Amino acid sequence: MKGLVRAFALIFIVAFGLMYLTSYLNSEQGYSGGNTLTIYNWGDYVDPELLEKFEEETGTKVIYQTFDSNEAMMTKIEQGGTTYDISVPSEYAIAKMKQEGLLLPIDSSKLSNLKHIDPRYMDLPFDPGNQYSIPYFWGTVGIVYNSELLGGKKLTSWADLWDPSLKNQILLADGAREVMGMGLNSLGYSLNDTEEAHLQEAKRHLGELTPNIKAIVGDEIKMLLAGEEAAVGLVWSGDASEIMGENEKLDYVVPTEGSNLWFDNMVIPKTARNIEGAHAFINFMLDPENAAQNAEYVGYSTPNASALKLLPEEISGDERFYPGPELTEKLEVYENLGKRMLAHYNELFLEFKMHSK
Amino acid sequence: MGRNRFSNIYLMLVFLILYAPILYLVYYSFNSGGNMHEFEGFTLDWYKEVFADTRLLIIVLNTLVVALLSAAISTILGVLGALAIQQVRRRQPKNVLLTLNNVLIVSPDVIVGASFLILFTIIGIKLGFVSVLLSHIAFSVPIVVIMVLPKLEEMSTNLVDAALDLGASRLDVLTKVVLPYIKSGIFAGFFMALTYSLDDFAVTFFVTGNGFSTLSVEIYSRARQGVSLTINALSTLLFLFTALLVFGYYFLNRRKALAVGMEVKQ
Repeated sequence: MKGLVRAFALIFIVAFGLMYLTSYLNSEQGYSGGNTLTIYNWGDYVDPELLEKFEEETGTKVIYQTFDSNEAMMTKIEQGGTTYDISVPSEYAIAKMKQEGLLLPIDSSKLSNLKHIDPRYMDLPFDPGNQYSIPYFWGTVGIVYNSELLGGKKLTSWADLWDPSLKNQILLADGAREVMGMGLNSLGYSLNDTEEAHLQEAKRHLGELTPNIKAIVGDEIKMLLAGEEAAVGLVWSGDASEIMGENEKLDYVVPTEGSNLWFDNMVIPKTARNIEGAHAFINFMLDPENAAQNAEYVGYSTPNASALKLLPEEISGDERFYPGPELTEKLEVYENLGKRMLAHYNELFLEFKMHSK
Repeated sequence: MGRNRFSNIYLMLVFLILYAPILYLVYYSFNSGGNMHEFEGFTLDWYKEVFADTRLLIIVLNTLVVALLSAAISTILGVLGALAIQQVRRRQPKNVLLTLNNVLIVSPDVIVGASFLILFTIIGIKLGFVSVLLSHIAFSVPIVVIMVLPKLEEMSTNLVDAALDLGASRLDVLTKVVLPYIKSGIFAGFFMALTYSLDDFAVTFFVTGNGFSTLSVEIYSRARQGVSLTINALSTLLFLFTALLVFGYYFLNRRKALAVGMEVKQ
């Protein structure tokens, strides 16, 4: 008995000692004060130096937390037991969160740097008038390919993927709208097409692609492409820039027929405590210098026109990530097609997946 | 003889398969190349990075605190629970209690996690340290019960009767006879709960929040960007730490067993 009591006393002492150490480390970082700002963002989606700079400038301490999917983030915010002051969802998630009343309106009078954002990225269908969201990064959906494995061949369009020489070489990201969008785009239809005949045609057209498809995969697509397990992949531009950093034989292209344009925007969730600080942070990130530094660190495309001018030519002039006006014309943002249409998209995608093997 | 050799080879093969992924991970934690494709050269940079990253260290400490506290508290609760279940003499209610206990062990973590999220939402507990600790205690208690109960069952009731005959109070019986007898079961339960808490992802994923996170959740959200070798380094350190714990526990037990054996001989 004595031994037991002693052992458990020791366990509790160690646990409380560690707890004290944690709170010491926390206060060392300045996290214990009342003036904190909690940011809920994708993993590795901001330059840590910028967070430090923000802390120095404003005296506000930043707590950085990460999520890995829009859905997980929405669940946490909906639950209400959290106090996130800033979050960065993608456009379809913003539309949904707005509908469900999970967002606080943004007071744009407090954002003196808002003028730097390229008007092209403002006032978009998922948030008219930018009442709830401010652009953070944008990107496209396109093709990553390894020209060495393809014998020096270059890909430029969706139609190239149907080439019989690509047999068993293509990896697709597992997204209904991305893959169906590829089918629709390759036939010259809109990504947001809802006409049944066009959708069926797109599905049939995708069916003809099956001999070339090696697999339909999730996030591991980056690893597989970097490891040269396949020569071609359908991916988001952000993933593409990351894979290309790992394996320089890879190249990215936005197909000439057009593709999807996506956005990650900053929002203030309804659970925010430090609303003043949240505005200050958004304004800080809109500052051209900071936005440029962040874009360089993260590698995605910035919507900040003044920041773009500050970026080195090799980044801002890279047509793969900042496509020229001609191609930009053809890019489309996903519209909220409604529950029933989305279910139909998913169904068609599922049928395609079932028949692809 | 031939059969013996075959079974040895088989055993070695099994262990090789079990440990290969860990060894692979440890090997690349020393890679200066920064990826898991090819080994370029030896470096300790990733280990330096682990210790330089205060946020990561805080998360590691959080994980350890939750593991230690939840394991200790659930051991106490679990032992009391096992004692209560053992007191039930009639067969049927006892079986019902045991089954209910086991259902909690086999029910999927995702369901447990989601239920906790809903429960905490309804009763208004903020997500963070408390919510994680409570849910870890909850899924550890049934495990402790399962570890302690066989020890209790195996104890002869004569021991308790004898103690009572000799004038021991109920409390004396508990602290001087029963608890020392089931001590090894209690520690086994504690260590099981500790490891369960250390590596739980699914339940914790639902109930973390407000600046409080544990290692499994953090590694998961980092893995989306491709696992950095810092994670390899950290995993190596944790693996060594747990291996030391296990070996330490084993040697302590062995020493005690030897000591007991000597006493018997005398």
